[in-house]
Amino acid sequence: MSDSAVPMEAEGGRRRMPPEILPALGVLACTGLLIGLIKLVSPGTVLLAQVSAILVSAIFLAVASFGQGLAILLGGIDLSIGVVMGLGGMMISGLTNGSNDALIWAMPATLACCAGIGLVNGLGIALIGIPPFIMTLASATSFFGVGLGLTAGAAQAPVAPGLETLMSARGLGVPWPIWLLLGFAVIAIAFQNGSVTGRRLYALGSSPGAARVAGLPIGGLTVAAYGLSGLCAGLAGVLLAGYSSAATLTMGDPFLLPTIAAVVIGGARVTGGRGIYLGTLAGALFLSTLETLITVLSLSQGLRDLIQGVIIITALIAQNRPGANPG
Amino acid sequence: MAAPSGRWRRALGGGPTAVAVLLFAAMYAVYAARTETATTVFGITNLLNDGIVLAIASAGLTLVVLAGEFDLSGVAVIAVCNCVVATISTFGDFGWLVALLAVLAIGGAAGLLNGLLVAGLGLQSLAATIGTMIAAEGVALLILSAPGGTVADVIADSLTGDIRSVVPVAAVILAGLCLAWMVLKRTRFGIALYAAGTDAAAARLSGIDVPRTKLKAFVLAGLCYGAAGYMLSAQTGTGDPRASDALLLFMYASVAIGGTSLMGGRGGAFGSIAGAGILTVMQKMLFALGVAEFYTNVFNGVIMIVALVIGNASAAVAQRMRRRAA
Amino acid sequence: MSDSVPSVVGPSAGSVLDLRAIGKRYGATVALQDVSLTLLPGEICGLLGENGAGKSTLVKALSGVVTPDTGEMYVGGAPYRPRNVLDARAFGVATAFQELSLVPTLSVAVNLFLPQPGINRLHMIARRRVEQEAKAILGAHGIRDIPPATLVGDLSLGMRQRVEIVRALWRQPRILLLDEPTAALADRDWLFAQVAAAVGWGASVLYISHKLDEVRRLCGRCVILRNGRKVRDAAVAAMSDDDIFSSMAGRSVVETFVAVPPAIRPGPPMLRATGLRGPGVDDVSFSLAPGEILGVAGLEGQGQARLFQSLIGLHPLQSGRIEMRGKPAALRSPRAARRHGVVLVPEERKTEGIFKDLTTVANISLPVIARAARLRLISRRAERRLVEPITEAVDLSPRTLKLPIAALSGGNQQKAVLARALASGARCLLLFDPTRGVDVGAKQSIYRMIQGFAAAGGAVLFYSTELDELVHLCDRCLVIYRNRIAGEVPREALSQEHILALASGAGPSGQGAAMELAG
Repeated sequence: MSDSAVPMEAEGGRRRMPPEILPALGVLACTGLLIGLIKLVSPGTVLLAQVSAILVSAIFLAVASFGQGLAILLGGIDLSIGVVMGLGGMMISGLTNGSNDALIWAMPATLACCAGIGLVNGLGIALIGIPPFIMTLASATSFFGVGLGLTAGAAQAPVAPGLETLMSARGLGVPWPIWLLLGFAVIAIAFQNGSVTGRRLYALGSSPGAARVAGLPIGGLTVAAYGLSGLCAGLAGVLLAGYSSAATLTMGDPFLLPTIAAVVIGGARVTGGRGIYLGTLAGALFLSTLETLITVLSLSQGLRDLIQGVIIITALIAQNRPGANPG
Repeated sequence: MAAPSGRWRRALGGGPTAVAVLLFAAMYAVYAARTETATTVFGITNLLNDGIVLAIASAGLTLVVLAGEFDLSGVAVIAVCNCVVATISTFGDFGWLVALLAVLAIGGAAGLLNGLLVAGLGLQSLAATIGTMIAAEGVALLILSAPGGTVADVIADSLTGDIRSVVPVAAVILAGLCLAWMVLKRTRFGIALYAAGTDAAAARLSGIDVPRTKLKAFVLAGLCYGAAGYMLSAQTGTGDPRASDALLLFMYASVAIGGTSLMGGRGGAFGSIAGAGILTVMQKMLFALGVAEFYTNVFNGVIMIVALVIGNASAAVAQRMRRRAA
Repeated sequence: MSDSVPSVVGPSAGSVLDLRAIGKRYGATVALQDVSLTLLPGEICGLLGENGAGKSTLVKALSGVVTPDTGEMYVGGAPYRPRNVLDARAFGVATAFQELSLVPTLSVAVNLFLPQPGINRLHMIARRRVEQEAKAILGAHGIRDIPPATLVGDLSLGMRQRVEIVRALWRQPRILLLDEPTAALADRDWLFAQVAAAVGWGASVLYISHKLDEVRRLCGRCVILRNGRKVRDAAVAAMSDDDIFSSMAGRSVVETFVAVPPAIRPGPPMLRATGLRGPGVDDVSFSLAPGEILGVAGLEGQGQARLFQSLIGLHPLQSGRIEMRGKPAALRSPRAARRHGVVLVPEERKTEGIFKDLTTVANISLPVIARAARLRLISRRAERRLVEPITEAVDLSPRTLKLPIAALSGGNQQKAVLARALASGARCLLLFDPTRGVDVGAKQSIYRMIQGFAAAGGAVLFYSTELDELVHLCDRCLVIYRNRIAGEVPREALSQEHILALASGAGPSGQGAAMELAG
């Protein structure tokens, strides 16, 4: 899929530049500035190593944010991402129990379960008409309970060593997670802006009323978007488990709100229909860099949250300005 | 035509509330049968204390939901207030008063911020209040980086006990809350609130200042979160900067169980207070039955969905009945 | 503006209301441009114009709901810049809105006094007092069948309209704006009495209506708007019906239509509906042949919108049968309808027609986008190849294709919506007022497209608020009244008068049929 995706993207870029690209590039530039700031406050850091470290630490947020971006593209939101990440991590370590051989079936099983939670979300939203934030919050609470019941909170089993290697080894001199991030980004962009389903998701998010009249498969698209969100959260959880070698049920929680922040900073419109993964990716990199900066300056995590909140609100105000509503 | 349809509507408007009362009674019976102290003053005080934070917070949230908006910042604001009380209430003899004024100011300010963003700048309320939620969580962490601090004894003693060992203080506060809602609902602001949530365009053409109404709803909600934070501090006697997601879900569950439409314009704070009561008794019942914690979590999520499904269904039935009556 | 003949312009001095060069734009759309207007004390002035001519925007500007971009307004000589309805009210300007501004969940009494119903010492609404006062007010305006405690949502549309009008009247405003006050009102004499009473206390009335006989009966003068500009301001008596007509349309009506021979083909009907019933659809039966353009006419809100939506399954039907080419077809959802080749071009273009964030080409290709994809990935070249022939059929310039559809004019947007319908392989088009808010050039293209579609064997069900379109394009015309088909006008007898008589429920020879203007 990825080989045909690359020319697609190039063609898309040449033919018509989505208006969202500019803010995405702006956020990337800000990220660059932040990295410069890190270099400034701690001159000892090697720039390339720092960038590489930030990219590696950004992969979890970047992967999970793609799903959040799809939910927001439909004008919804997914508040179950944190819990699903935790469940994904717990499941992969529980199922593999330190064995690489088990990875072959444990990986699909884990991802399928996480996608399944997303499907439940999508069904509740599409069929029963429950507001997305409540549906996903409720399912997160419930599935957290299930996870708690099954595991008692922390994984007793070690993560498969293969997964740990994946997250720490290098290929062609570049850490594997960076290759993974690159591959994921290409697939994500090809899906969202190049595929038939992606196009229909944009259409549905843009005008639900028109989608209804035109006979788009609204239920199917909603379920697909939330299912993919669950899948991405699960994948992020699996990678996080490999990275930190030990999974806990709550390890995904700190990622939930940053996924929303990343999408909003990336220029997506919270009421749906607008936003590209490049922007979300830029937002995720920006937040990860910010995190690093705060760590380097040994500032409080509270400050991080405060800044994140302020950035979200600022981004909302900024994107509200040009589209003043008529009438 | 008008008179019978009016009666129908009143009966149906009471429909979800009646279901709520029945549910409450049933779960309370189970809880009481399993717990000896349940029916003593001590037991009732205990129950009310467990529920009052949720009741106050969801009553505040109801105002915002009635106006047709969402507010996710409540729990984080409560956490900030909790941290503030745990930090400053022990200073001097009037620390409790300073803390009370401080939490009301904080709650009001947070509500004002939300209101300005949503009503003033026209931002989508869900996203904007997620922003303030994250920011408020940060502020709570800046005040207390870890659970700790102490709440002045006078606060805990006076708010969690009984008056002359007969009337729980929490009951008095709840009664005050209900009274305030009864008055508020019938003021011009109350009318404007329902109008703005039902049909914002018509409200505007009728001369109602819709943004101002929404702003007031957010500010009043913020004041409620402040008060809820104060009550929470009285319960726990300490501060905790980590806002609990479960409380956020419970707030919306209370509102939904109480029959308030998440689309705005329909429902009321009485329902939400009853909803908070139901959820509290449910927790008590599950505990009394010895249900493990993880099942409780599963239950909490499911009850939210069930509440919404029932709410949707009863609204649909009410609409159909009204159409038939008309 | 060469054809604008401001024959009578009231003197600014002594006028109650004086508008000078009012302008208002919404994005690229000009809603009002350089509109000047005066109202004399005690005068009833008619305001006429087609849909989208700017009447509603003018009313909203006057009542403080929208702020004009340019120009000045004076009330009684004082500068008038209302920011909301209350400001307007303070200047003695009251409006009965067309879209009915009552809050359905509040009582009639509270609605009458919004936003400041009477309160007691506790600041609570004094319900009994408010209801008594409301009862007195309603009674003073001759309304005794509406109990003040009733919720507005429980009233019939006609009752609501009366309450809406009373709400504007009871404070005895200096300036009264009535926006389509008889849209849902059966008892016009009641309204005329109210207007006469208002003039009696010295009010000036701006009367917005489609119905020429009402304007002739009430108004001494009338102002005609077209495309946001004032094109006529003259004594009603000095204008013939044709005069008014062509001022509103800006053209001689007949010349814009190209007559084509009927293309009706023999064989089983493309679509046959038998005994359709459902909410807002009452025992509707009709048959639509291949190549036929079947018109649908009806006054505002007679159930035509519901019928069109029900035909593609947007609302469930309770009973009835639909056949396509002689075979039963279940059109339970828009998807199912599309599979049978039935496609709706909806009334609300902005919310239900276009996908506002997509490009024009993506808007058109959406239903068939999978055909331009390999391995589910879209080839933009294939997409363009798919779309280009269709854009020619609707006269859509290829250079619009790459643009976001929101940047196009209303006419081009509508062409794109039609192009999407064609692209999806429609054999039966349901067109709901497709030329609303569309410029003249685009209207021509749309007429051509409709005729071409029929000539190629497609079937068209065509609702329009512009009767001349129905008369000149359709092979025959169904007339809807109160959710039923009140009658059918065959091709030989197609005329506006004939349609109108049926549309107002009077029957072909009935008396008192409203003379409805196009639009």
